[in-house]
Amino acid sequence: MEPRGWLMRLHLDGWLLAGILLLITTSLLVVYSASGGNMAVVERHGLRIALAFGGMVVMAQIPPHQLMRWAPWLFIAGLIMLVAVLITGTIGKGARRWLDLGIIRFQPSELMKLALPMFLAWLYAWQPLPPSWPRLLAGLAAIAMTAGLIVVQPDLGTSLLIAASGLFVLFFVGLSWKWIIGALGAVIAALPVIWHFMYDYQKQRVLTFLNPESDPLGAGYHIIQSKIAIGSGGVWGKGFLGSTQAHLAFLPESTTDFIFSVFSEEFGLWGVGLLLLGYTFVIFRSLYIAWRAENNFGRLLAASLSMTLFIYAFVNIGMVSGLLPVVGLPLPLISYGGSALITLMLGFGILMSIHTHKSRLRPVTSS
Amino acid sequence: MSDGHYHPAHEQQLFRRRILWAAAFVLLGFAILFARMAYLQVMLYDQYKGLAEGNRISIEVIPPVRGRIYDRNHIVLADNQPVYVLSITPEKAADWEKLLSQLSALFPYKFDTETRAQFAQWLKWQKKFNSYTLPFELDEIEAARFAARSHHFPGIQLTTELKRVYPYGSMTAHVVGYVGRINEKELKTLDPQRYKGTDVIGKSGIEKYYEDLLMGQPGWRQVETNARGRVIRVLEEQPPVNGQDIVLTLDIHLQKKAYALLDQRPGAMVALHPETGAVLAMASAPGYDANLFVDGISRRAYAQLLNNPHRPLINRPIGGVYPPGSTIKPFVALIALEHKIISPNHRIFDPGYFEYAGHIYRDWKRQGHGYVDVHKAISDSCDTFFYQLGLKMGIDLIHQGLQTFGFDQTTGIDLPGELKGLIPNKAWKRRVRGQPWYNGETIIASIGQGYSLATPLQLARATAILANRGTQIIPHLRKASVEPEGHIEIRNRENWERVIRAMEAVLHSPHGTAWRVRQLIAPYRMAGKTGTAQVKRLQAEEEYDESKVPMHERDHALFIGFAPIKNPQIAISVIVEHGGSGSKAAAPLAAQLAKYWLERNHVPPQQKRRKP
Repeated sequence: MEPRGWLMRLHLDGWLLAGILLLITTSLLVVYSASGGNMAVVERHGLRIALAFGGMVVMAQIPPHQLMRWAPWLFIAGLIMLVAVLITGTIGKGARRWLDLGIIRFQPSELMKLALPMFLAWLYAWQPLPPSWPRLLAGLAAIAMTAGLIVVQPDLGTSLLIAASGLFVLFFVGLSWKWIIGALGAVIAALPVIWHFMYDYQKQRVLTFLNPESDPLGAGYHIIQSKIAIGSGGVWGKGFLGSTQAHLAFLPESTTDFIFSVFSEEFGLWGVGLLLLGYTFVIFRSLYIAWRAENNFGRLLAASLSMTLFIYAFVNIGMVSGLLPVVGLPLPLISYGGSALITLMLGFGILMSIHTHKSRLRPVTSS
Repeated sequence: MSDGHYHPAHEQQLFRRRILWAAAFVLLGFAILFARMAYLQVMLYDQYKGLAEGNRISIEVIPPVRGRIYDRNHIVLADNQPVYVLSITPEKAADWEKLLSQLSALFPYKFDTETRAQFAQWLKWQKKFNSYTLPFELDEIEAARFAARSHHFPGIQLTTELKRVYPYGSMTAHVVGYVGRINEKELKTLDPQRYKGTDVIGKSGIEKYYEDLLMGQPGWRQVETNARGRVIRVLEEQPPVNGQDIVLTLDIHLQKKAYALLDQRPGAMVALHPETGAVLAMASAPGYDANLFVDGISRRAYAQLLNNPHRPLINRPIGGVYPPGSTIKPFVALIALEHKIISPNHRIFDPGYFEYAGHIYRDWKRQGHGYVDVHKAISDSCDTFFYQLGLKMGIDLIHQGLQTFGFDQTTGIDLPGELKGLIPNKAWKRRVRGQPWYNGETIIASIGQGYSLATPLQLARATAILANRGTQIIPHLRKASVEPEGHIEIRNRENWERVIRAMEAVLHSPHGTAWRVRQLIAPYRMAGKTGTAQVKRLQAEEEYDESKVPMHERDHALFIGFAPIKNPQIAISVIVEHGGSGSKAAAPLAAQLAKYWLERNHVPPQQKRRKP
């Protein structure tokens, strides 16, 4: 199961690569269908995939100890940019998320998706696990700071997901179950307080999630149409290019956040099953990389990145099928869209780097 | 938590245990998602399939209710009546041709080839999602019969529609006009948003002129419909702004009286309220039933109307032009007096003809009127007096003077299709005919013959201006205050009274041309003027004998008049086409109409005026 041959020389993991390519191919097909057969959209998407692939390969060449050295500085730079974006950021869709760097517009929150797990993995790599209380609290503070800066942009969805990726690191360092359960209980108790501080549009989304039929023309419209698309797909689906909901323009953002509705309308329950299997394969391979990692930095980073992928897929599918509120999040590796895809592929690059840069001397493993 | 000792194996074990937990989370999470998807795609499949395939959220237009038209007594002249109709949405009907066949089997007597042809025509240029209302109505039994079989007819809906109804049919057809189906040409100029859901438009009369006010603004409702196009529920609704009701100045009773007096003879009667210019009655005979046009008139019925020699479709009061004949004389006389062409005492001797440049211009009275002054020239309608007067005035003064009374120009009434008539002058003849003006033409123009043409409305308006002693008015039908147009410059008020006294004598002195009519207006007194307009020019040696002349060559009978003489309440013009002499055929109608109006309005009869 160890990479070898040309893949090894390129520091790529064949199994992970195969899983990614499978999902990316699916993505090209569904984007083609969801865009109403618009080749221009597919070409733009393909270009971004190629760019993301390049990023992944580059990332895979950087040895983990190098990443570990950069981790704290990357995190500090990320924090500074999050502050900067709040002050000078470009407004898109009513929120300050973009930082204009002259040549490219850049979302610091995307950087943080990688920088926070890296920082936390760095933080807990210096001491044996489980960590001491001060380090746990330092980790929590880093998570809170990052999430806090993103939630005021405002971008609740990304903020919660980044927080989740950080909290997964705390989970993997061996935080005891009683603390985990205790913390979950505290969060549930705090929900009314969080509600109080939410923006109207966020409250509306939650309310709509709880009862989409209450507002069929406004906020609930997307969810109702999405559920119609999914449900009408049935077990076997309507076939490729057969999505009437997307093609009749009932579905909003059919190539991005709601692409799963189009997919499940066209490919039905069996297609959904295959897609979930595909995700499971990629996530399990990533977890395996974590399992086999030779030090704590690699373990924690790889495990956190794996679970981030899971969280993203779970939240997006839960959202379009009406299980979770609409938070505005793409489906990883499938949705059309630039920066999220690139971040994701950079993450895969890190995973491959962790797997392929190992000391010749195998660490002694105990039984 | 740390015991301070580094146990790499223990650490790795802890971590790997958490990895296994994480893998379990992943499986659990995806299992939940798969269960959710199975619930949506298997358990709720039928429901969502229906929603995806058939149920559509669509916008329905709610057409505004067209404004009603009332007469001055608030009696409705154009009403909206609910009727059952069938409307077709071709988008929803898979095979509309088959549906039409089934439908014609159900209602064979309603469905002719023309109906189908009309629908096919509509289908060609109309967008598919618009619905088409079949041009016939169903009664309650038929509606029930359709409703019971409606499941056989997807895309065809039974609805109630408001249909335009004209309770007075032919009596108001010309004034109120009618609505009809929007045709292709009209469609191009209309605001498609506004007329969505409306398939009729004002085609003539008030219905056309005030289309914008009557129409209103459509509303809409957002509805969820099933595959058959049936509305399941209304999601949102914006009510329409209904059309404005229009109250006319017309008095339907007087209108009825005018039609009764005309008694189907081709002709026209116009009655104005002199002070305001309000149209009290405006009759055009023969009439036609405006209701025929609402659903789209059949070709045969339309051809019948078009080919009728009496041309019922023409609105004669504004669209018919006639030589004004002798009715022009009071105006010509007044212009001459005001311009001091003649003095009030000017007198001529009439031998029964006037000779000019070797031509003989005969008076209607062969033996002549003897000595004639202005008064007698009007009351007895002496042609010779006016032949000579016209020559003295010249055509340009006659033209200019008559223009101040509104001749040779449209009145500006709120109706479409008004003609402007014609009073010739030298410039006109040069421009249109390319010929110089001859004095002989002035001679006949001064008795309203030759090129001169006027509409009955123009005559009524000029009469009203005379009755007003110079105050000009714009005749109008919509009951709203219309400011007086202005005032003719009066040089000597006595000239006006002199002419009006002469017109009074037409009815109320024994030698007046309408002396026989005085009983019909009694106890009121009326000022008037008869006119008999030649349709065919007679040769010099020919004698006019009404009984020998074919109907269409007989003279038009005209009369203008107003009553009472002081504080006039009604100004009337009457034309009976080919009716013969104005005194016999037209004057009695005017007198009866005026009396009817004055009595209805309880106008007290005035004292007999002192003889001049």
